Amino acid sequence: MVDTLPIAVTVNGRRRTLEVAVHHTLLDVLRDQLGLTGTKECCVVGECGACTVLVDGSAVNSCLVLAVEADGAEVTTVEGLATDGRLSPLQNAFLEKGAAQCGFCIPGQLMAAQALLAQNPHPTLTDVHEGLAGNLCRCAGYQQITEAVMAAAEAAVR
Amino acid sequence: MHAFAYARPATLAEALTLLEKHGPDARLLAGGTDLIVGLRQGAIRPAILIDLKRVAELRHVIDEVDGRIAISATAVMAEIENDDRVGRHFPALVEAAHVVGSVQIRNRATLAGNICNGSPAADTAPPLLVYGAVVVVAGLKGTRRVPIDDFIVGSHQVALERGELVTAIELPLPDRRLGAAYLRLTRRHGTDLASITLCCAVDEAGTTRLAYGSVGPRALLFIDESGVLADPGAPAEAKEAILERVFAEARPSPRSIRASPEYRRAMLRVLGARALRSAIERLAGG
Amino acid sequence: MNGDRVGASPHRVGGRERVTGQQQYVADIRLDDVLHVKLVTLDCARARIVSIDTTAAEQVPGVRLVMTAAGLPQPVPRFGPQFSDRPVLAVGETKYHGEPVAAVAAETKDAAEEGARLVRVDHDELPAVFTIAAALDPAAPLVQDPEIRPTDPRAGTNVLREHRFGWGDVDAAASSADVIVENTYQFPMVTHFAIEPHGFMVAPDGGGIACWSSIQHPYLLQKMLARILGLPLAKVRVFAPDPGGGFGGKQNPKLEPLLAFIALRTGRPVRLILTLDETFQSVRRTSAEIRVRTGFHADGTLAFQDIASDFLIGAYVDIADRVVSKGSYLAAGPYRVPAARIVARAILSHTTPATAFRGFGNPQVNWARESNIDEGARVLGIDHLEIRLRNLARHGEAFVPGDTPADGDWVQTVRKAAEMIGWRTPLAPGRGRGLAVGLKSGPTTGLSYSTVRLLADGSVLVYSGTSDMGQGARTIFAQIAAEELGVPLDRISVVSGDTSVVPYDQQTSASRSSVLMGTAVLFACRDIQEQVRAMAARLHGLDEANIVVERGMVRLPDRETPIVDVLRSGLGRLGGELIGNGTMRKEEDPGHPLGGTAAFFEFNCTASEVEVDEGTGEVTLVRHVTVGDVGRALNPLQVVGQDEGAAIMGLGHTLMEQIILDETGRIRNLGAIDYRIPTSKDLPLELRSASVENADGPGPYGVKGVSEGALLCVAPAVAAAVTEATGVVIRDLPLTPERVWRALAERPGPAEVSR
Ligand SMILES: Cc1cc2nc3c(=O)[nH]c(=O)nc-3n(C[C@H](O)[C@H](O)[C@H](O)COP(=O)(O)OP(=O)(O)OC[C@H]3O[C@@H](n4cnc5c(N)ncnc54)[C@H](O)[C@@H]3O)c2cc1C
Ligand code: FES
Ligand code: FES
Repeated sequence: MVDTLPIAVTVNGRRRTLEVAVHHTLLDVLRDQLGLTGTKECCVVGECGACTVLVDGSAVNSCLVLAVEADGAEVTTVEGLATDGRLSPLQNAFLEKGAAQCGFCIPGQLMAAQALLAQNPHPTLTDVHEGLAGNLCRCAGYQQITEAVMAAAEAAVR
Repeated sequence: MHAFAYARPATLAEALTLLEKHGPDARLLAGGTDLIVGLRQGAIRPAILIDLKRVAELRHVIDEVDGRIAISATAVMAEIENDDRVGRHFPALVEAAHVVGSVQIRNRATLAGNICNGSPAADTAPPLLVYGAVVVVAGLKGTRRVPIDDFIVGSHQVALERGELVTAIELPLPDRRLGAAYLRLTRRHGTDLASITLCCAVDEAGTTRLAYGSVGPRALLFIDESGVLADPGAPAEAKEAILERVFAEARPSPRSIRASPEYRRAMLRVLGARALRSAIERLAGG
Repeated sequence: MNGDRVGASPHRVGGRERVTGQQQYVADIRLDDVLHVKLVTLDCARARIVSIDTTAAEQVPGVRLVMTAAGLPQPVPRFGPQFSDRPVLAVGETKYHGEPVAAVAAETKDAAEEGARLVRVDHDELPAVFTIAAALDPAAPLVQDPEIRPTDPRAGTNVLREHRFGWGDVDAAASSADVIVENTYQFPMVTHFAIEPHGFMVAPDGGGIACWSSIQHPYLLQKMLARILGLPLAKVRVFAPDPGGGFGGKQNPKLEPLLAFIALRTGRPVRLILTLDETFQSVRRTSAEIRVRTGFHADGTLAFQDIASDFLIGAYVDIADRVVSKGSYLAAGPYRVPAARIVARAILSHTTPATAFRGFGNPQVNWARESNIDEGARVLGIDHLEIRLRNLARHGEAFVPGDTPADGDWVQTVRKAAEMIGWRTPLAPGRGRGLAVGLKSGPTTGLSYSTVRLLADGSVLVYSGTSDMGQGARTIFAQIAAEELGVPLDRISVVSGDTSVVPYDQQTSASRSSVLMGTAVLFACRDIQEQVRAMAARLHGLDEANIVVERGMVRLPDRETPIVDVLRSGLGRLGGELIGNGTMRKEEDPGHPLGGTAAFFEFNCTASEVEVDEGTGEVTLVRHVTVGDVGRALNPLQVVGQDEGAAIMGLGHTLMEQIILDETGRIRNLGAIDYRIPTSKDLPLELRSASVENADGPGPYGVKGVSEGALLCVAPAVAAAVTEATGVVIRDLPLTPERVWRALAERPGPAEVSR
């Protein structure tokens, strides 16, 4: 018997009420119930960061959060970064610096970077490396990703 | 993950009642960073999870009361890292909290969960031992305060009875000036579970408190009141002799894939000496 | 507009999708009415399957089918790119940890998982071999059924094949050598760890099937499925969405045939997205033990190379035997070597099937050879840079008799790397520097078709069957079309990933795509240029000989106009389009030991400066430099991404990565928790890459392949630096803190250390 519960979440600014299985993670529900497949699944044990989303503004591994735990929360996924089809400064910087190779880790990197910059608008290189240390990139575009985050931070200053 | 039930008590009484009712079929859910991994791996198959995050009495707080800092059971590593009072009085705990997993993990992982999970490698165990933390345990019958050294029992074993949970971890404000340092050994520079965790604090009176983990079923605490370890001028051999005794209790697992027992023993000495040195320097540097 | 052309770095094609979450990888594609599949595996390596009880699983609500080998056509079909040895499901026995013995298809993922948990497989664990020594023991159990290669005299052993290459007389050379250095080097088992786990879907489709796979070689998959299912190629449609990282691990088919049989049995679309742990159990790099005996003359010039490599491949061959032969063929390196003897064996074991992995056997061999050259240099007292400069083959020199001569100015590359690392500058105490070169041959055969359509409004469709797994192939093809047809990138679409729509491409591997598919695209564009020329001649009543069409422009005797203008007038009121076709074929050469000469070489020089914590053995990369001879950087930013990415991946196997097996062959560090790869905090403090561009490659505008080079010789460069910093020589990888510490602990007293 599968227990389900109703939850209400605001995803990318849109309020949703839905019935979720209590053993399903936020990642499962985003991808399978809401069709928001931008958030990626890889290790499902919190190691790779591909599933990173913002819950009430802080970056979390959505594979380690049950959907029921997000009840009442504001969730932001990579689909919520652009506004009216206009890329965010961070997204633009990722494009500009060639940070996305295969792209599979990129949604997670973007969300971790988004949280970092919200908390620390003027990060040092070390801050960026630390802030993104939970996001593996096997294409290993770390240097380009870091440059992109720094560039986005600078652009915001100007 | 297998299917289970989920409860989200609003009060401590409700949580305790549920816990009492379900006994070993229940698991408490804090940040879930250990628990969900365990569920994924099928290592545990509880029938119900009791989520502590909305228990009114446990709201995210780090409070200073009666000469101690109380860290609630839902306070996460990120909050501990950023708390001025904790930073001022217990910098080595901040250093340890700061290396737990990634930012994403630290936004979820609670201090209480780190201890209650009972991993020998828990990063916060050595500093909590060094700072003489007290674990506040609540049950339907009442509340008790357990020194951390008694609370940690063995690998994945803590001194919780059926129906009990941890509401907070308290740190007595030091009555003397301390210099403290936390060090760990990992397989890469990036996030990793440590093969050695080690914390050392020296105080003005010459007492040294040193705790280390990940080299046996539980983290261990040693107190040196001879003054030798804390003495910047004491001969290296004298210090080494004491550290040798301190580390003789290490029981590193031969089955671990993270590091061999031999390496772990050798690294205890290296990290021990380094942590001691930096604790002494910090004490001197004020 | 210029920013769109060759040599510029426009935004990646597919870049916007990647930063918005719109890019669809296999797992993101939803099929209606789909059944979810979960594999049933055993928690041991080799076991006899006594019986499989599916009753409990079948009773799980939502479970529709439990497929076992008995439910498949008999004999159970087998497949593989080199040998048809891999069965669709294990038959009678499993041969490695994680080999699927059954699969459960259900209405939900949960039901499939629950069903899989309830399938009871009665099995007996069998003796098995996991190391080279155990596999070579005459009493060792055989990994492969001798029936797979009935005519092979080695079928009764675990040696799959022995490859021999070489030239000159090594024994004679040995007698004239001044110094001979002989050592054995180990290279660990490592896994690809693409962040996208492998995913597959199959749906019945008219009289045939449609298959979605995160595969690098969709046309190979199409051919294989057609054969196994007895379907015409036209009835097997393979969709290959961009893989989320491939690195070789996604080259060859794995579970698609199983899904096809389940789809056909149930009449439903089926879907299987592997977990990362299951992905670890599907692919890995070959580990190797390589003995190198190198002869030197007193002046440091090489007298001979005598190299014997044993590669531990897995339970099924996949492409691993080719990895062994192709990797070893160039074992003597980019040097003038008067005599070489190379023997390489592919040895089967009860482990994860080894397959292609960035570098294709060469990183293993380069590690051993370069390290041994450093040993020689130490004995001779010659600088590591100097010894390489003395021996490197010069441009045009035939360094492997009978093969493509050195196709680049390799000395220039090495000098550049040395300069960037500050080779001659003084070193801080406790630090060391190392430098090594790597060489890999590009494809030995190839066949790529492209179609380019210049549409009525001057926009362009480029059809290319190359898989874009991050290397940016589509961007390059679009840039080529932009360059040749004078169309801005935002008016060009590159279509790939659908075998029913896009013409054939042999494969996406061996850093071939810019060269081979790039040429096909170029030819297709040139085909269109020819048509435009004819059009212009007709429009202006000129002789075609007086018209030149190039780089987007039509040059008439008195003026020039953009191709698009000629197109508009030329197509007239009815509109239409121009269709160009291009084919690039690199023929087989049956007389060549590898079946063909190298289309080009990837040459790289890596230099590294490290600091070693002598207390803990931790190695910190202070500076890391990688320089590749790329011929021409068609998109410099993408070259940097490839080079730095490959360098960091190389740091993985150099410093931390290693699959660890227990005594029963189970992978102990299965998954992300205990298999460590570099993170953002593991980067060298300073990482720099550069390219040598002499436009001397065989591809469009002088391009050569990129993307594997920077990984080839990371290990020897870093290890040499560690040696310089500490005085200890380590011949096993990875250089974990513990391994370095151990070597330091065994180091003779400081007085004897020569620095
Ligand atoms: C990717 C990753 C990296 C990690 N890295 C580190 C690391 O570097 N160092 C480290 O120490 N740990 C690490 N961890 C482990 C984990 O994050 C920590 O142990 C964390 O502090 C656990 O807290 P939690 O709130 O998530 O606990 P949960 O997972 O919610 O709970 C853990 C256990 O404690 C019990 N529990 C929780 N709260 C209470 C309570 N109030 N009373 C009684 N029992 C309770 C739960 O029932 C469960 O058994 C890592 C985990 C992951 C997934
Ligand atoms: S999938 Fe969540 S961290 Fe890897
Ligand atoms: S871009 Fe491929 S994994 Fe990061």
